[in-house]
Amino acid sequence: MIPQATSLDREAPGLYLHVPFCTSKCRYCGFYSQPLAGRDADRLVSALVREVQEYRNVAAVRTIYIGGGSPTSLPVHRLAGLIETVASIWPQAQEFTVECNPGQVGVEMLSMLARRGVNRLSFGVQSFHAAELELLGRRHTTDDARRSIEHAQDLGFDNVGIDLIFAIPGSTLASWEYCLRSALALGVQHISAYSLSFEPGTPLDEARRLGQIESVDEETDRAMYEMTIDCLASAGFAQYEVSNFARDGFACRHNQGYWENRPYIGIGPSAASYWQAERTANVADIDTYIHRMEAGSSPIEERDRPNRADRICETAVLNLRTRKGVDLIEFHRRTGANFREVFELPLRRHERAGLLEVTADRVRLARTALAVADSVLCDFSAF
Amino acid sequence: MDTKYIRNFSIVAHIDHGKSTLADRMLELTGTITARQAKEQLLDDMDIERERGITIKASAVTMHYPYEGHTYMLNLIDTPGHVDFHYEVSRALAACEGALLVVDASQGVEAQTVANAYLAVETGVEIMGVINKVDLPAAQPAAVAEEIEHVLGIRAKECFAISAKTGQGVKELLDAICELLPPPADRTQEATRALVFDSHSDPYRGVICYVRVFSGALRVRQRIRLMHTERSYLVTELGKFRPQMSPVDELGTGEVGYIVANIRDLADVHVGDTVTDDANPAETPLKSYQPPMQMVFSDFYPGDNTEYSKLRSAFERLALNDASFSFVPQNSPALGFGFRCGFLGLLHMEIIQERLERENDVDIVQTAPTVSYEVVMNDGQIRRIGSPSELPDRSHIQELREPFVRLEIITSTESIGGIMKLAEARRCKLVKTDYLNPTRVIMEYRAPLAEIVYDFYDQIKGISRGYATMDYELIGFEATNLVKIDILVNGQPVDALSIIVHRDNAEQRGRKVILKLKKAIPRHQFEVPLQVAIGGKIIARETVKAFRKDVTAKLYGGDVTRKMKVLKRQKEGKRRMKSIGSVQIPQKAFMSILDTSD
Repeated sequence: MIPQATSLDREAPGLYLHVPFCTSKCRYCGFYSQPLAGRDADRLVSALVREVQEYRNVAAVRTIYIGGGSPTSLPVHRLAGLIETVASIWPQAQEFTVECNPGQVGVEMLSMLARRGVNRLSFGVQSFHAAELELLGRRHTTDDARRSIEHAQDLGFDNVGIDLIFAIPGSTLASWEYCLRSALALGVQHISAYSLSFEPGTPLDEARRLGQIESVDEETDRAMYEMTIDCLASAGFAQYEVSNFARDGFACRHNQGYWENRPYIGIGPSAASYWQAERTANVADIDTYIHRMEAGSSPIEERDRPNRADRICETAVLNLRTRKGVDLIEFHRRTGANFREVFELPLRRHERAGLLEVTADRVRLARTALAVADSVLCDFSAF
Repeated sequence: MDTKYIRNFSIVAHIDHGKSTLADRMLELTGTITARQAKEQLLDDMDIERERGITIKASAVTMHYPYEGHTYMLNLIDTPGHVDFHYEVSRALAACEGALLVVDASQGVEAQTVANAYLAVETGVEIMGVINKVDLPAAQPAAVAEEIEHVLGIRAKECFAISAKTGQGVKELLDAICELLPPPADRTQEATRALVFDSHSDPYRGVICYVRVFSGALRVRQRIRLMHTERSYLVTELGKFRPQMSPVDELGTGEVGYIVANIRDLADVHVGDTVTDDANPAETPLKSYQPPMQMVFSDFYPGDNTEYSKLRSAFERLALNDASFSFVPQNSPALGFGFRCGFLGLLHMEIIQERLERENDVDIVQTAPTVSYEVVMNDGQIRRIGSPSELPDRSHIQELREPFVRLEIITSTESIGGIMKLAEARRCKLVKTDYLNPTRVIMEYRAPLAEIVYDFYDQIKGISRGYATMDYELIGFEATNLVKIDILVNGQPVDALSIIVHRDNAEQRGRKVILKLKKAIPRHQFEVPLQVAIGGKIIARETVKAFRKDVTAKLYGGDVTRKMKVLKRQKEGKRRMKSIGSVQIPQKAFMSILDTSD
């Protein structure tokens, strides 16, 4: 039997703050957010601060990440206040990331972030083609993206990441390569490259169902992905997770916490936590969230306490998404289970098929398995 | 009891023509049960039967009814209404002197009405025509009576018009049963002979035999002998179904009831056997009827080979109460260890399959059902095979014979053309057509069972917009020009995907099969070639393309719970699949080879 409360429960969590506002809704986005217009940003920020305060007795957090939505859609002084609160409670966090929307961050915003101790920026650039940005419903231009990243670098940010999307309808291998090269040319440290997924209910998905746009065929999607890995590797960016690439030492520690299945605290509407061995999710609706915080009641809407088997499987699936894979000793320490024993059958089958690489102390996806990772990982989702 | 006052009868009808409702109403009118007790369709005691609205096992009930100053004993033996269970109808009829042939006043004579009437005539029982549901607005009792006279030869004016639902005419019908149906012959003084017409297994009392006494009597503590197995048993309990089991001391000539005699195994009792007195046995057994014949075979494999023994015990439990279902171990080179199962027909198969899943937690992979064939070997020996994989090498075969049936289809005149076209494509030979009235026709075909057993009924239902009904009966085996089609998956022959078809359609069928398989087999991480071979020669090829992309782009903190669920579903989707080499073949693929639609 696994000990019920381990030292792992007391390890420093990651902290995530969700700012659910956007200037406008992107056509591919399935996340919960609301247009900022007409919203009371002050009340939301106060509610976020209030929820943060509830955790002030947590001695340390490893990393802080403010995402959304679009945190930079908040007025500069409001975002500053939020950062101030968090940074004053946990000044020792190793990494402090804020997601930036290229069209929204001017010098004023960026210098505020720099002053308040934010040490990592993640820019939602998505594409370097105007037509693709329009198709996605992004409001910024490629010039906006270049300009704001350069400003950030001028202000001394030396850990900057870019999010890109490939397999956008109409794109080709060549057009995607252009995006990658443009990102590299900006001298950033981190690139996330996501294959476009059509989330049910989004305008983009609707357009596809109506035949107005056509998704990129699977073969091209695969080729784009393979090219990403090769192209970035030759530029000095190592792949460290299915969709994430970084220069040496610049992997996002906050996100690594998720894949190591470490605890994290999520603040804000719809934010998820894995805290004190419980997975919870806050209420998604902004007004309900604000009301609950103002009334002093809990924002948590869903609770789930993973059992031992759940923990084992979650850890396996999450670990396997990384290029480091499953560290067998660490896995045992974290779950109390012997990975090789629990997953003997799928391990053997996928190793034989050349989809898993197994060494004495590690199991990871083979390069060829990355593009079809789910078909392997699903066999680790239960036992 | 004086046999003069006993009446033994069955009710036979097409599905939904109101057989069970009529039985309920009779139970109520005779005070056997109160209206309050009358659970809907009391005689159908199995869940699946009630859900499907069909009766699949015979059962019996004894009622008492006063008529003209005497109390009559009425024994109603219920019968199944589906083509697969013909033999159950015939064994129920074998225990009777009369039968009520029930026809829906709004639907008229249907294929199963005709089939049942034939059975009744063959058994030699007295038939009474009953037109039910006369209370319906769409009822046309006079027209239906004429149909009955025209097709079945029962005089229109002798038919009874009733409504089992409202009870209208049911009392008169009970009177007529006493008045018109013949009583059992008085053979009280002869040696004891009783026909076993059904049996079931009870966890506490062992096998319970349903019997009809034809001569002499049965008594508690009597030592009886089953004439077929030549085994003897001590009767520990006798009784009648009222409708619950009610013990009696004696069952006399003409009576219907049950025997409990410490019989452990259902297999020890052959339905159709004759029970006699062990000390004073009868010289000859009663004329037995044809034993049930298994017409459809299918292989069942555990999804996971480690569950073989679990599957075996599941089948053993099912066989306990269904003597017409059989299973024997089977070893397939492609699918491993499993069982070859024999069924009376497709419905019977579906019922067993449903029960297997409902009552047991076993993943099953089932192969497409096939009919049985007769193989005449070069040395003249005749073998019966229940699977294409059992077919010996061609060089050893003199002749291959397939089962043929007499097929009756009743349909509307406007769908005749469509049905004839379909029947012709299925190698059916028209024997005759007969108009029931200007808008309804009965068509008789001589048809290869293999062509009609699977989707034929659905197709004629489609062609006739739900109007047509059909029924069939085996008439024998006949040599035709048959060949075996083999399917290779990823270069490996899969015996469970082989089919036997007529040579004229072989190539076309083979191509269709791999097209269906191509749709049914999920994409793998590699290409999966599918090939068709006839007589060792590859005649067609298709490819299941490899999937190239299957990965969630984003998986962060907020996605964990949802994503784990999605992955679990994906894993679940791999259940009920059988690994053949490195290829996973889902259950539906095995069935898809029978799908002849485009």
